[in-house]
Formats: sequence, structure tokens, C-alpha cells
Amino acid sequence: MARAINLFFMGKGGVGKSSCSALNAVSLAESGHKVLLVSLDPAHNLSDIFSLKLNHKPTKILPGLKAIEIDQNRWIKAYLKDIQRQVKKTYSYLSAFNLDHYFKIIRHSPGLEEYALLMAFRYFVDHYSDYDFLVFDMPPTALAVKFFGLPSLSLIWIEQLYSLRKEIIDKRELITRIRLLNKEMERDKVLRRINELRSECQDVRDIFQDRTWTRIHLVMNSDELSHAESRRIVDDLADLDISIDYIIHNKMQPHVPCSFNSATFADIPVLEFPCSESPLIGMDALQRFLDADHARVRSQLHACHMPLKSFARPD
Amino acid sequence: MLRFLKNKLTLFFKTSEQVARGKAVSVIETELEELEHIFGILVLGSYVGMPSPPVHISLDLMPLMERELIMMMEKIDTANEPIAQLFSTLDIG
Repeated sequence: MARAINLFFMGKGGVGKSSCSALNAVSLAESGHKVLLVSLDPAHNLSDIFSLKLNHKPTKILPGLKAIEIDQNRWIKAYLKDIQRQVKKTYSYLSAFNLDHYFKIIRHSPGLEEYALLMAFRYFVDHYSDYDFLVFDMPPTALAVKFFGLPSLSLIWIEQLYSLRKEIIDKRELITRIRLLNKEMERDKVLRRINELRSECQDVRDIFQDRTWTRIHLVMNSDELSHAESRRIVDDLADLDISIDYIIHNKMQPHVPCSFNSATFADIPVLEFPCSESPLIGMDALQRFLDADHARVRSQLHACHMPLKSFARPD
Repeated sequence: MLRFLKNKLTLFFKTSEQVARGKAVSVIETELEELEHIFGILVLGSYVGMPSPPVHISLDLMPLMERELIMMMEKIDTANEPIAQLFSTLDIG
């Protein structure tokens, strides 16, 4: 199946995830690829970086590059509206039941935030499969790790619920066989939905774990806090069988003391992005940074995308 | 007369068979009800303060779990008399 390659940029808050994802997206688009840059960070920065008003619809930045800032609340609202519709249909006799009130509270349930990001991710994977690259600017660590962990965590529950439901159905079938002598049983809707959920979660988990279609870039700075948090991110994702493909040592300054120790991340290639002398705001600044000031950044990006090019669709 | 007797006998055997089948599955039915109750608590437990799966699993399954929800409501009535319920299930007394 034709599919875009997913590039994720994650890391501690303020390390420059949005700038790195924007530089990457611009570099890929300039080398002739079709790229969609998506901000999954609820505190969006891409509008500021490109000096454009971005929203939930794709906005053209360059030939071959479009950008989107997702509206998380919009995804949650749409999801809950659908559930509410189904509940109203099933429990139509509960006319006194104030569903709107309950769903206004459910909207703030813990866990819905990362599920909204996951729904958005699945939407982009399904609807933008004709793109070469989907570049995701991720939220800071806590939410990003929850996002990557949600499919695996859900699967643990789903497997248990599946076994229990199967036992219920087996017993129900036994009773029906004895009582009603092999009368045809109605298919269990709950089991069918559990199966659908299982396959959805497995698909997303497989995408996250598949190094052919997914590359995760961990952005960090020279300071000790950023270094320590990055180490924890690598460990947390390793628990989910997800590996980091590149570390971007961002905002490097020649005369500033550096806590970065590449031995800590022994087997992960490191890309070095120097600190820009001027703020990276606006397309001119981004292109200048890639072309004139720090051509080495572009060459590093090209080098790490080279193996991906063979998977990307030919022009 | 003979036809009348035959019909009565058939009805008698059919009823006996149904009673036997009913008795044979009554304990399994109780067990099934308990399993369904556990399933309901597991999926919808967050609405009554129990640990629950990720919220999207509960929300996705909730519209299909009318039976389990009703059972949870009914269980409230018998929750404080588990021994009486057990005796009733085992047909004691």
C-alpha cells in the first residue's frame, strides 16, 4: 500500500523541536519531495516560525510543502459527538438522561488528549498517503510519550477484555444450545468492536515500531536537564519497542560548556545543528540558515534522508 | 381418546425436557451473569470510581453495552445480600 514516511520530532520543551521539524520539512520540499508538516503540539509554534496564520487545513508554504496545526479540541468534540449519537440511538428510552451534560464532563477526561492526537495521526496517515513525508512536530515529552504508548497500553486492556468477552460468548452459546437446540445466535457487537479496536491499535503500534515508515528524531540542547530528559525518553520508548533514529543536538554554541555526552546515546547517530545568530522566523531566515550560514545542517539532513529516499515515491 | 392421550403425553415430555434443560443451565447462567457483570465493571468502572481502561475503549464500547449497564444498576439492589443471592442460585432453603 502506498504510504508516506512519518518523521517525528520530539524532546523537552523549548529545545527547538518546531524549528528542527520546519528546517527538515523545508529541506525535503526543496529537494523535490511532497511534504506535509503537522504540528501536534497544542501550543503551536509553526505559525510563528513561518510568519503565517496556519490552521487545521493544509496551508501552502512552498511548492511541495504544506503545513497544518491541528485543533485538538475539534478532534475531541467530533469523537464525542459520534459516541453521543450512538448512545442516543441505543438508549433512546432514556429521554430524561441529560447526555449533553455528561459529555461536557467527559470532554475533560484524562487520556482524551493523547487519543485526540492519535486520531489526528491516523487521519493524516490515511488521507495523505500520496505524500512522500509527513513531518510531525510533537508536544513536549510527557504528552508525546503518552501518545506513543497509548496503542500498546490499549492493547493490554483490549486483549484482557477480548478473552473475557470470548468466555462470555462461549457460555452464552452453550446455554443457547442446551435451551434452544442450536438456534442461530446473533453476532456479538461488543466482541466485533473489540476486534476492530484491536486491529486499529495494532496498526498504529506497528507503524510506530516499523523503522521503514517511521523515523523519530530526538531534539536536545547542550544543557544537563535536556540531556537527562532525553535519556529518559530513549528508555521510555525502548520499553514500548520504539527506537530513536537520530538525536539532533540543537543550538550548539562553540564556547558554551556542553553536557552532551554522545557515549550516553552510543548507538544513535547524532546530527549537530549550530545555534542560529538570528531568530529562525520566516521562510527567508530558515532558507538562509540551511543555505548560507550553516550548509552543514542541510548536508546532514540530506545524509539522514538518503536511505529514506528509496522508499519515497519517485517523482 | 387415544389422540388426546398422545397429545397430553407429548406435552408432558416436552415440558419435562424444558425443565431439565433449564435446570442444567441455571448455574451456568448465573456464572454468565457474573462474567457479564465483571465485564461491565471493567469497561464502565470509571463511571463508578473503579480503575478503568484508556477512556477511548470505555467510550467506544459504551453504546453497545446496554445489557451490562442495566445489570450494573440491578446489582445495586442485591449487592448488600450476596449470601441470599447465592442460596437462591443454588436453590437452598
